Amino acid sequence: MKPELYEVWGDTVDARHLVYAIGIGAVVSLSAFFVAQHFLLMWVESAQMARAYAMLVGILGCLAGGAISATLFKPKRHVVEHQADPAWRAQVLVELQNEFGDLGRLADLPPETVAELREMDLYDLFANYEKDLAAAPVADAASGLSVSGSRS
Amino acid sequence: MIAPLLEQIVIALGMGILGAVIFAGIGLISGSDETTTLAPLTLLVVLLGVPAPGVLTFFLAGAVAKHMTHAVPTALLGIPGDTLATPLMREANLLRKLGVPHIALRKMISGAVIAALIAVPMAVLFAVMLAPFGDAIKRSAPWIFLAAAIAIAWFSKGRLAAVLALIPFVLIILGLQALTGQFGVKLSVSYFLGIAIGPLIAALFALLAPDERRSMRRSEVRTFSLSPDVKSAGGYFPNPLKVLDSQQSRWTAITAVISSATFVFSPVAMTVILGELVGSRIKHVYHRLTTVITARNGVTESTYIAEALIPLIAFGLPLSPVAAGPAAPLFNAPPRFTVDSATGEVHNLHTLLSTWEFFGYGMLAVIVAILIAYPFTMNYAYRAASWVTRKISHEAVIATFVGLILVIGIWEGGLLGLLVIVTVGLLGGFLSRFLGFNIGVQFMGYYTAVLTVPALL
Repeated sequence: MKPELYEVWGDTVDARHLVYAIGIGAVVSLSAFFVAQHFLLMWVESAQMARAYAMLVGILGCLAGGAISATLFKPKRHVVEHQADPAWRAQVLVELQNEFGDLGRLADLPPETVAELREMDLYDLFANYEKDLAAAPVADAASGLSVSGSRS
Repeated sequence: MIAPLLEQIVIALGMGILGAVIFAGIGLISGSDETTTLAPLTLLVVLLGVPAPGVLTFFLAGAVAKHMTHAVPTALLGIPGDTLATPLMREANLLRKLGVPHIALRKMISGAVIAALIAVPMAVLFAVMLAPFGDAIKRSAPWIFLAAAIAIAWFSKGRLAAVLALIPFVLIILGLQALTGQFGVKLSVSYFLGIAIGPLIAALFALLAPDERRSMRRSEVRTFSLSPDVKSAGGYFPNPLKVLDSQQSRWTAITAVISSATFVFSPVAMTVILGELVGSRIKHVYHRLTTVITARNGVTESTYIAEALIPLIAFGLPLSPVAAGPAAPLFNAPPRFTVDSATGEVHNLHTLLSTWEFFGYGMLAVIVAILIAYPFTMNYAYRAASWVTRKISHEAVIATFVGLILVIGIWEGGLLGLLVIVTVGLLGGFLSRFLGFNIGVQFMGYYTAVLTVPALL
């Protein structure tokens, strides 16, 4: 049977798994609470403390219920290891420009940041960008205009 | 003289470690809201009778640790770790696209360390300056709560709609109190939990309605792109001042001081505003991204610390968004901690700890949280993010919270407690979704109902 996927509270779930998980969570946590309360009321002198400890056991029950559901139902997520590839980085520069307008100059940076950029292999990316900018000032002015228009 | 003090310190240390470990773990789970998690667990610690210093260190160490590990899903997965991580998403995503998410992560948690260490002495200082006005504020508490509720509602997304929605919301709470009162049941935790967990309750109800269900339907699972692991220099515990450059450390310190003083404003708003302030002063885009994300994550720490500590030290009344929400059990957790509306009489951490104790235990909590969460995040971020996304299903997270609703509701008021959580949660969840009547406003609405209304009648 094809799973029925829904987005609930920020992530995807399978409807059937969700119903089962809630059932398990309810049964495990409440039985932990009631069983603990039953025995603790006999063993602990102050009824109030007994009930507070029973609540603690109930909360551990919640975690146990969650753990059982986690082993039974796998996450509905597709996890891919993502390496930003260099071709994509040039694309990011365009995005940054749309977002912030002028990207600033490397000459303004403190030496530790320049070292950091070199370490991350990002220095050349920004240096080339500046070189292109110096080579084509007219084109930049035009794109600068369109950028300021789109930013509003 | 020495032995009891030593015992208190040992308890405070132990509870601080416990809070830091638990919330460092919770911080890894994306979307685990601060109020939903901090408030019930702190309440539990209060009701179990843990001594006052232990209650304080548990809460503070938990909050500080959570706002460090929340950097893991934020930087590596591109999904906000919790509510306060949302203002960091833009910078985090751009740095991810540049291929340097580990830089975002390292800068974020280094900013957190610096800001947290600065915030405690600053908060104590500001509290001492405000303390002379404490008595006047306590006497007029019912009116201040009403004014604060209206102000917080006005500055929420809902604006006038949120201000006006306060009236029916307060009426519902008064009605529920009258109803449970007939059976001799007096509830408070159930209201807190209902408000905090409202969005989940509303989502589960929506899933049962055919029309809503159709709009929540997804044809395929979400794709999460996890950034690869990068071995980083600096050893097991890199010096945060070396991870940041001097400009970044300076901006983090400045924003930490400012956000410690502005304790009445919403932490999310302060995080956004101070980030913009820093960003507008830095020219190069890479430097701007890294500096803004550092300062912003620092602010998530300092606002939380100051917004909890200043009202606790100066007034004993929950007069800030954090104090009204996640830190609420430090002020009001009947029968142990109480706030009397009519007289402004309080019995909570404000009366149990001196200013110096707040300072000492506050620093202890922050240092414990740093020693646990900082090296953990630095060294195991990738493995933690990978494990959580591949092993912890969302069904399991929801099941845990449903269990929490059942246990807390039935523990506090039997079936009535449970019904109150569901009623308040459903109403609050929908008001928040459709009117922008957010959780902070709802908490202030609750305080208006229990503090202002009795004083008026």
